[in-house]
This record gives sequence, C-alpha cells and structure tokens, in this order.
Amino acid sequence: MPKKTGSNKKTKNKKETKKDKTVETVEKTSTSKKTVNKTRGKKQKIQVKKEEKKDKKTKKKEKHVKKTETRVVNVPSPVEKKEPEEYKKLREKIKQILHDKFLPLSVIDEIIYKVANDKTLESKLKEIVTRALNEYEKNIIDPSEACGIVSAQSIGEPGTQMTMRTFHYAGVAEINVTLGLPRLIEIVDARSIPSTPMMNIYLRDEYRLNHDLAKEVANQIEITRLNSVADIETDLTNLVIYVKPNLKTLKNKHITIDEIVENIKKIRGIDVKAEKEKIKITLDEPSFKKLLDVNETLKELKVKGIDGIKRVIIRNEPNEGYVIYSEGSNLEKVLETEGVDPYRTTTNDIQAVGRVLGIEAARNMIIQEAYNTLSEQGLNVDLRHIMLVADLMTTDGTIRAIGRHGVSKEKESVLSRAAFEITVSHLLQAARRGETDKLGGVAENIIVGQPVKLGTGAVELVMKTTRKKTKKEK
Amino acid sequence: MEYTRFEKARIIGARALQISMGAPSLIKIPKDIVSPIDIAMLEFKENAIPITVKRVEKKAS
Repeated sequence: MPKKTGSNKKTKNKKETKKDKTVETVEKTSTSKKTVNKTRGKKQKIQVKKEEKKDKKTKKKEKHVKKTETRVVNVPSPVEKKEPEEYKKLREKIKQILHDKFLPLSVIDEIIYKVANDKTLESKLKEIVTRALNEYEKNIIDPSEACGIVSAQSIGEPGTQMTMRTFHYAGVAEINVTLGLPRLIEIVDARSIPSTPMMNIYLRDEYRLNHDLAKEVANQIEITRLNSVADIETDLTNLVIYVKPNLKTLKNKHITIDEIVENIKKIRGIDVKAEKEKIKITLDEPSFKKLLDVNETLKELKVKGIDGIKRVIIRNEPNEGYVIYSEGSNLEKVLETEGVDPYRTTTNDIQAVGRVLGIEAARNMIIQEAYNTLSEQGLNVDLRHIMLVADLMTTDGTIRAIGRHGVSKEKESVLSRAAFEITVSHLLQAARRGETDKLGGVAENIIVGQPVKLGTGAVELVMKTTRKKTKKEK
Repeated sequence: MEYTRFEKARIIGARALQISMGAPSLIKIPKDIVSPIDIAMLEFKENAIPITVKRVEKKAS
C-alpha cells in the first residue's frame, strides 16, 4: 500500500475506519460553526454514544478496525477497541485448530460470535471449524479460472432481460429515480453526475426523533430561491425593482429579511435599501437592459440552502425516525450540515463518494448501487461478480469506466486494445512508440494463435522424478 | 499435492495421448476398459502417472 505514507486527509480517511471518519467530519463542522462550544460538547457526547454502539457492533467490524489501526501511523484513535476476554480465548482456540490453514476473518468472527452466545456449542468447536474450513475450501475458486468472463456473462445475461422493461418510474416518496438498465450503464460508465442525483440523509440522535428539528435540517439543506419567498415587482418608468418578501413563508423557512438583503447585495452594480417590509433596488447607472438582467438574476437568487439540492422530502421511517430524501446531491456540503449523520448519509453520485470519502467507499457504493439496481428488477446476480467489476473499476485509486474511455483504454497490451476498438489507430500509435506486447492476456494470444493462459492453458506439465526427491526437473 | 481441475485435465489428457500412441500402461487395467482416456483416468486415480505440474508464482504486472 503505497498510499499509506501520504498523510493528506483523504488518504487518512480512506485508511481509517468509518468510525474515525465520523469524528473527523464532526470536527470539521465544529470549527466551521460559530457556536464552537456548543458543538464541542455535542461531539463528546457523540463519542460516548459511539463507544456504546461499538460494543454492540458485530465482531467483524471490530476486527477490521484493529487491522487498519496498526497500519495508520500518528493517528491516535479516539475510540478504544477492546475485545472481550472470552472472544480472545476462542480466537486462540480456533487458531490452533486451523494450524496454518486459512479461513477468512469474517467467518472466524462469525463463529466466535455464535459460539460465545451459545455455550453448548463450545464443545463442538473443533467440528464447527473443520466443517467451515471444508465448506470454504470447496467453494474457493480454482487458480487460473476465467472468473472475469463468468462475471461478464452472469451480469450480462440478466441485463438482456432488463432492457425490455425499463422505464423511469416514481420511486421512493415521489422522487424520480433512474432505474433499470440506464442506471446500470450509468454506474458502469462512471459518469461524473448521475442523471437523477439523489441523497438519503440520515439524522443524528435528537434530530431524527423530533419533527421540528428534522424540518430545520431540511430547511438548511433545501435550496430556496428568491422568487419562492418573495414577489418581485419591476417599475419600468422609475427603473426600480421592489422585492416584497412573503413574511409567512419567511417565518416558516427561518429566513430573515436581513439575510435576503445580504444575498441581494452580492449582485454587482446595484444599490439595495431595505424599507420596512420591502426591499428597494436601484441601479448604479440607469439602463433598461440592465434592469431586466437584474430582474432575472433576482428570481433565481439563492437565499438559503445548499447548491444542487432541488427538493427534499422528510419521511418518518419505522425504527429509524425522520429521514430526509433529497432530489439533487451535494455530499460535501450536506455532510457538514448540523444534525446530519455523516456516518450513514449516502448519495447515488459515486464520483462524489470517491471524492469525499475515498476510493474504498466508492467501491462499496458501486457494489451497493449495482446490486440494488439489479435486485430491484428481480434479478439475482451473485454479489461477487459485481464485486469483481467494482474492484476492476477502482484498483488504480480512481474511478474508471468499463469500456473505451476507462479500463480498455489503459490496458497494457497493444493487441488487446487494438482488438477492442479503433484498431488501426492503436496499431499505428504502438508502432510509432515501439511498444512491445507481452502476450499475457486472452485477446493477444488468440490473435497470435496460441493457447490462452487460462484454465488448462495455464498448466505447465513436468515429468515426475522419483529418484531425486528435492527438485522436479523436466 | 492437490491438483486443480485444470491441472487434472491436462495431466490426464497428456497421458491419454501417450497411451493412444501405444505407450504401455503403468498399472493393471481391467479388460473392459479400452479407451485411452479411461485408462489414463484410472492411472491418475492410482497416482501412477509420472507427470506433475510446475507452478509458477505469477508476478503482478
């Protein structure tokens, strides 16, 4: 992991657990807010909460946390991870049973968790572990298996079913979401902005239980334009514009007239005067055209909210409390908003996830989005196929598209690139640069007329020699 | 050493080719087994085939 040494915030974020990330974001908010003291207190409270939550979390996560922690240097973790004595003992025992065989940590953790909760299982621990080991080894993929092709087919075949019943349809709470094949293509193409950006904004502690507080957060987030809270009147004879705010809506949205005035003042070349319940705007230099221009700008002027968030809907979810769903997405800004739970809030804008939370998070988001899109249509594709795609898209630390502009473009082999698209231009460029082809992949070997180094083609046979025990020779 | 299914296929295939070209069998073969591939498979089961695989650790490019 070469990125480990880079000490910028993004890399750190990536390496750290989600827990730590949360704290960091909270820290950020606290410094940017005026009421430092207030938030500081809250932060500590959250930390305590977190510790409590920690214990309840599955062992899997805890182990993961441990592993990453040793890797991150100079970052003192605020949350101390401790494993109950009992679990440690079980872990030791399982280690002995396994000898030097390998079982994934998540499996071991699951066994420990189950056994610790049911004492009767402890005597059968050896049996459980050996069975799990057998099952694991049976399911493990053979080396040199063509897993990429298997993945491609496994996703592609259900994909053909999708095309037939694809339409945009009103999804969760009146928000229109792109679904089906268009969405899948969007994910795989790594578009910078999804056609229907959307966020699920989860709230923290008291915010998610109290409707008024949730509403307040929603007001902070939803963009409010001037023409939705005020009437704009243009007096053409005197070249004056009057803005008459609707006091009721203002109160509803917690906006003061002063705030509006402040925002209007940002427009250049005009003079703003607040008069009782209306705002008078005059031009520095009288110009008819300019007046109309200003009028247009005023209509679309942002008074409050976050850029990009067009509409929000608050819903009361069972077992959760209030959740805000938004049309439009702006992860950076929303995470900084007070009351938002940065740990669970998500967006369907994968590029934004990669930018804000790091490449690992983006990978998880790709997996989750692709899987959900497929299962939405009733198609059950094994998660591991999708994981392979997501891994391929994110291996180099950036999000690359599958296809001409991303993965295929950056392939090492000339012949394989030429086989894909724009053959002549690739061959020409390669000849000019004097590239060599190592003939490692599938397409290259087929072009040359060799067996492909996959499956049986990857096996190299040697004579068995019984005389010398030390080394096999040809 | 345990073989993967690809390695098994290659070993049996190579041995079957030898047998089909007249190589003597290395174990006693029941009379009803005639096909070179079947013979090779039997030999493989008995661990009599003097062929193994060379495994190279692939370097990540």
